[in-house]
Amino acid sequence: MTAAAFAAVLRPEQRDIRLIESSEIGIVGVGEATLPHIRFFNRRIGLDEADLMAKTQATFKLGIEFVNWARIGDSYIHPFGAYGSKIAGVPFHNYWLRQEAEGVSTPIEDYSLPIVASRLNRFALPSEDPSSVMSTFGYAFQFDASLYARYLRGFAEQRGVRRTDSKIVDVKLRGEDGWVESVRLESGEAVSGDLFIDCSGFRGLLIEQALKTGYDEWTRWLPCDRAMAVPCENSGPLTPYTRATAREAGWQWRIPLQHRMGNGYVYSSNFISDDEAAAKLLSRLDGKPLADPRPLRFTAGRRRKTWNRNVIGIGLAGGFLEPLESTSIYLIQIAITTLLDYLTDGNGTDGSGADRAAADGNRFDPRIVEAYNRWIEMEYDRVRDFLILHYHATERDDAPIWNYCRTMDVPDSLKHKMELFRRRARVVTYKDGLFLEPSWLAVYFGQRVMPTAWDPLADALDGAEVRRQLQAVREQVQSTVVRMPTHEEFLARYCPAVPPSTGAGARA
Amino acid sequence: MTATIMRVVVVGGGSVAWLAAAGLRRAFRKRGVDVLVLDTGMPADAPVGRWTLPSQRGMHGLLGIPEADLIRRTGATFKLATEHVGWQGDGSHFLHAHGDIGADIAETPFYKYLVMQAINGRAESAEVYSLAATAARTGRFARPTGDEKALTSSFTYGFHLDEAAYVAYLAAHAAQLGVRRMNASLTSVDRLPGGEVESLRMANGERIAGDLFLDCSGSAALLMRQIGADERDDWSTWLPCDRMISARAPFIPELPPFTRTVAADAGWGWRLPLARASAAGYVYSSAFATDEAALRYLQSAVPGVETPGRAVPLASGRRRRFWEKNCVALGASAMQLEPLAGADLHFAQLGLGTLIELFPLDVSGAIEGAEYNRVMTDHADALRDFTIAHYRAGRARAGEFWTATRTVPPPQRLADRLDLFQASARINLTDFETFEEVDWAWLLLGAGLIPSALELHIRARVENVTAQQVAPLRAHIDGLAASMPRHSEYVQRSNA
Repeated sequence: MTAAAFAAVLRPEQRDIRLIESSEIGIVGVGEATLPHIRFFNRRIGLDEADLMAKTQATFKLGIEFVNWARIGDSYIHPFGAYGSKIAGVPFHNYWLRQEAEGVSTPIEDYSLPIVASRLNRFALPSEDPSSVMSTFGYAFQFDASLYARYLRGFAEQRGVRRTDSKIVDVKLRGEDGWVESVRLESGEAVSGDLFIDCSGFRGLLIEQALKTGYDEWTRWLPCDRAMAVPCENSGPLTPYTRATAREAGWQWRIPLQHRMGNGYVYSSNFISDDEAAAKLLSRLDGKPLADPRPLRFTAGRRRKTWNRNVIGIGLAGGFLEPLESTSIYLIQIAITTLLDYLTDGNGTDGSGADRAAADGNRFDPRIVEAYNRWIEMEYDRVRDFLILHYHATERDDAPIWNYCRTMDVPDSLKHKMELFRRRARVVTYKDGLFLEPSWLAVYFGQRVMPTAWDPLADALDGAEVRRQLQAVREQVQSTVVRMPTHEEFLARYCPAVPPSTGAGARA
Repeated sequence: MTATIMRVVVVGGGSVAWLAAAGLRRAFRKRGVDVLVLDTGMPADAPVGRWTLPSQRGMHGLLGIPEADLIRRTGATFKLATEHVGWQGDGSHFLHAHGDIGADIAETPFYKYLVMQAINGRAESAEVYSLAATAARTGRFARPTGDEKALTSSFTYGFHLDEAAYVAYLAAHAAQLGVRRMNASLTSVDRLPGGEVESLRMANGERIAGDLFLDCSGSAALLMRQIGADERDDWSTWLPCDRMISARAPFIPELPPFTRTVAADAGWGWRLPLARASAAGYVYSSAFATDEAALRYLQSAVPGVETPGRAVPLASGRRRRFWEKNCVALGASAMQLEPLAGADLHFAQLGLGTLIELFPLDVSGAIEGAEYNRVMTDHADALRDFTIAHYRAGRARAGEFWTATRTVPPPQRLADRLDLFQASARINLTDFETFEEVDWAWLLLGAGLIPSALELHIRARVENVTAQQVAPLRAHIDGLAASMPRHSEYVQRSNA
């Protein structure tokens, strides 16, 4: 993603990009479900959506279904879209709560177009007309991450990125300041550069092994540290959503692609053995497994500085947050686009940072590096709080992991958010970073964090008028969704994928 | 529903008190919430005249105040910009206009083009690419019109207000909304076991009970002082001005549609036009000027100025907790900040809007208070930073006072922002900010701050733009400004 974006956004004279990867080292393909933001990324670099989808076996995604999280048997969908819309300037859910209290009980899901469409396996592209209910949602993709990587490789190479298939056998640091000067390949070639982007995965070949940057661990809040991944055959209709099912020691993902189903079990090694996790996973698949389960290990957290000297860690080299909310590719994307936004032409003349930097023989103004790191920290921290909410807001007491998470001490920022919601249904919102009000609402309501009161401003409207307006939203959502094509019909028309040749689909 | 807050008591008698009372009454009138203003008179720190941000228009809309009526009855005038004179040394001046700078180039803000030109040694003023600034410079005014992409809607405006007339107008409007008023002088408070205020005691022995109490008494903080919630963040190391005087001054015939601030030896003076007079003042540091010297400055800078009342102290800083128990401080009782950015009433409005959104369900209001304090702290610090930035951007004016304003490093978040702009022309805003990217661009470019580099992706989009290509925009703006009425005529017609 990084090489493609740099090649697409920077002009040829502004960059000279080499990509070094070893085909002997596997790719961690956990990020197969994405967020709507991926579409901005694809558009910014100029990808054709239908072509991309066809070549990556992609399906559409309107949200994530969470099963068994607050209680066994519960199910809710976190949608890419809003519940109703504001009435008299007051967020919709306040009126819904008021109506519930007045004895008219309706599921909150009925007021969300993407949820209702998901439940009925329907899909259509959203409308750009803000007055249409079809403009109240966004969508993302579920795709084969290794096919996406292959697609981007072709895109990048066409634009002048030179790829070398090799392992890196040594990293040479500059004596005077410890910046990376070059990396040595198996052939003996030394590849030098101004900026090194470390996409080597969790081990952080440059950012950690060479620069010893350090890592902030968040396992006390996010205890899962391993995963097993396995694809299986599809059975039943393709759902336009991902599913995350809470299990005895973590949770299981289910991501439908056109040619197969991606599955995995994210778990804590404190609560289950690898063998048992693999066995549990294989016993809970929709169809026949297409490979042996592949183990992954990780530690939730973030590199202390994702940009250190002239190295930037992107992807797992920068940090890891489990894919519960499909944030892996988002965090990669945001690192890339933020970096692209912050890079300057660096011909400084003001006698301060840039000049000093130039005199030191490098081109990165420390003031920009610090601003970049602050931004990435903010992104990770906000995702972290939202993920912790899923584990913490549970009533489950059937397994040690849930007892731990239910009773653990959460960050003050999250505690405050939950208290304010319980008290009066107010969602703490922020300008930057992931997860807007509807996302918080979905998880609060879905995980039984129920307010005891609502915004008093929602009492200004007459009760009958509230019921009339809410009823109108439900009816509009329902009548719109039933006119949408099924997800499979839409895929067949928009981006049919070629069935993979024998065996090709088995690679995760 | 559970809400038991039915009686709101507002302590104060200036514009903040009446805005808050009217705003709460209008928001919760249907619920039968009673709003009583305990009128303790005009706060001592109220200026004779004030300049506002464009958000005051929205405030009037929310209160149901017809703008034309307000203009006619209070002698207010329109404000397209603030001019800062002498801040970067004698002869320096720039406008911070309430409008766009140019028009986006390939989805890139126009000011980035100006940055590129400046880096290449061809610095030019942003003013000539702004309809608001051009109209301000040529004494023209008209309300914005047309669809949002039209140049004629590329700006907005604030007001110049005669404080006493404005307060009288707001008080009458609040009364129409059913706000009650009582002249009073607060002597003590009675508290509930939980520490919440139960009632206020007046000098005449009367007790006024309430569920929620607002302190809008200005820097005197008559109520907050009573409940002992006085922990503050002090900002005087960055903002050394600690005294203010203001007075009425003669009518300015050409009626400039902007406020002017002028850097002086011990602080800065200001002047703004009103329909039948003008107002002027001096904000200064007592370490560098006595009150007598300040008065002499004002009299020489503004011929014919009336004799001001006593100098009022200005303790730059903010309360740590704006909301304590069932008491909320709004306006200058919450934060004291020199009026450089014209955001005093805006800050009160932010407090009021946040209070309405978090209107407490009962007298404890602890969770709402925590959220309110979190949000308003950020707002206050953002206003502080924008104000301090005026002292930090560009070349420093000579003189001991001006050297003193730069001796300590700025607050970290401002330092980060200025550093990033200097390094890359990038302006990052955080969650709660009054001033937008374009406001920072007006200030930083106006002060002559030239970044050392430009973001690569931005350069790619602006570097082939030539001065010839943007020249028609300037001509178009000149033509539009010339077709606008003179501000003096516009105000005259508004008063007809």
